[in-house]
Amino acid sequence: MDAADSIISVEHLDAGYPGVTVLSDVNFTVSRGEVFALLGGSGCGKSTIMKHLIGLNPVPAGKITVAGLEMNRANRDRILRKIGVMYQSGALFGSMSVLENVMLPLEEFTRLPPAARRTLALMQLELVGLRDAAEKMPADLSGGMKKRVAIARALALEPEILFLDEPSAGLDPLTSSALDDLILRLRDTRGVTFVVVTHELPSIFKIADRCAMFDRARHAMVALGRPSELRDGSADPFVRKFFNRGDSNGS
Amino acid sequence: MKPIAVKAADADSIARLWGELRRVDRLRAGEAVMLDVSALGGTTAAFEAFFLALDRHAAARAAHIEAIDPKGLLAPIRARYDFAAYDGAAPTARKHRPFLVAVGQGVCDWCTSARANCAFLGETFANSLSMLVHPRRFRFRDAALAFERAGFDGLPITAMIGFLLGLILAFESAASLRMFGVEVYVADLIAIGLFRELGPLVTAIILAGRSGSAFAAEIGTMKVDEELDALTTFGLPPVRFLVMPRVVAATLAMPFLTIFAELAGLVGGSIVLQLMNVPAVVYWRHVISASTVFTVSLGLGKSALFGLLVGLIGCSAGMRTRNTADGVGVAATAAVVGGIVAIAVADGILAVVCHLLGV
Repeated sequence: MDAADSIISVEHLDAGYPGVTVLSDVNFTVSRGEVFALLGGSGCGKSTIMKHLIGLNPVPAGKITVAGLEMNRANRDRILRKIGVMYQSGALFGSMSVLENVMLPLEEFTRLPPAARRTLALMQLELVGLRDAAEKMPADLSGGMKKRVAIARALALEPEILFLDEPSAGLDPLTSSALDDLILRLRDTRGVTFVVVTHELPSIFKIADRCAMFDRARHAMVALGRPSELRDGSADPFVRKFFNRGDSNGS
Repeated sequence: MKPIAVKAADADSIARLWGELRRVDRLRAGEAVMLDVSALGGTTAAFEAFFLALDRHAAARAAHIEAIDPKGLLAPIRARYDFAAYDGAAPTARKHRPFLVAVGQGVCDWCTSARANCAFLGETFANSLSMLVHPRRFRFRDAALAFERAGFDGLPITAMIGFLLGLILAFESAASLRMFGVEVYVADLIAIGLFRELGPLVTAIILAGRSGSAFAAEIGTMKVDEELDALTTFGLPPVRFLVMPRVVAATLAMPFLTIFAELAGLVGGSIVLQLMNVPAVVYWRHVISASTVFTVSLGLGKSALFGLLVGLIGCSAGMRTRNTADGVGVAATAAVVGGIVAIAVADGILAVVCHLLGV
């Protein structure tokens, strides 16, 4: 991995909360323009790592660099302007329409006139295939639509990196596959780097260029590489078991 | 010991057998308990749990099970579960924390909560100053919506309670004053009582019940739904975005509601006095003479302070909502209880201050 090409770098990170270390000594880098997946079973610390990466939880030990800035209190707000986040539930603001949700970051952080904000927001919605849902309220949307709106909202300020927390959770296979297609399209057309927290194997093989895998029992990152390489060539029994859906022989 | 014969493996039949475990507890070392499962065609989860418990109880007494099991039902159960792992799983009496530990934990919890409240107040204060410098950052539309809900929507209930309050005050006081033939002074009592004390107090309690809980529930639900995290990662401080509009709305809505509650109370009083043959003109003349600018201003100032407290406590409870099933309910309760306590304490302090100042 070319260090100069990396947009995220995690060095010797102890991930967790005050008094609780969930993962120890985590190291990886994410290259610009790739889809990087954080994998592992439930409760292994994937989302905890993501909360450190997006500045929601302070870094207990180690170093995180995002878009050339070290994650700390002084840089946090500057980093937040370079990233977007899609939460598992979508986290749309229930009192605002879909269009207002997408317009909100534009309203807060740009001096664009209202007409320009509206047009820009509608274009983001068109990009995720929800141009016609602009006037709907979040409560009227399905789970998959909410996630697509959340992506459109996160894209509004043209972030360099988009973090997605369990994008496939709670979605049927077709909707999930359509969301995967959207991620790949955005990566190709907009050059956005994606960091995806997931444990959905079909999605991992479809979208992830590389992935890091975490094991709750060992409190550690146990694998790093291309999904197919890890599936076919990993010597670690946990990794083989994960990629072969619980078959410990890995066959 | 009499054999334990299992005739059926459904949960109700097994429930009746569960008492047999007490007999097993009376066994001596080396003795056996007979378990007859010959009548069973197969096992159920309830039977498997009973067999496991029986085995563990027998093992604890160094006794053993002698099974009549022609169909070989028990061996697969032993193979399926790690019986020894259930030794420590028996329910035990609830552990009580030592008194000093409980006190220490309580003090720590209080300190943590006080620290969180101080941080919240500091952040809100800093945001208020920032709003004064950059008024454009204030969410006027959200504040207007919150004002509509806390103020206009609360008008009917507040006016009704104010009307009843005036009515009751008039009845209760008129009964005493009539004995001295000065029932006309009920008007003065109602006016001063409502404007100075009861109007702001009762309206604030209504606001705490209606809007304080609503603020906590709205913000709490947003927290559970990760909307607060979403705001934070957009670089939008939740305090500026969610708390400021609600606190400003509650502070402005309180005087507005209080005026209506007080007017309704005066109307209620006038009805009672008219029933007692006191002319309306006389009643209203007394009300106007008793309602000095100072009295009315003091009441409205108090009501704005109470509104501020209700808004702050409601929003603070919402921001500290735990991500559990009962989290939002607990936050709403904390908002109402905390709001009412804060109103009572603030009112008491103001009463003492007014007394010391002689006003």
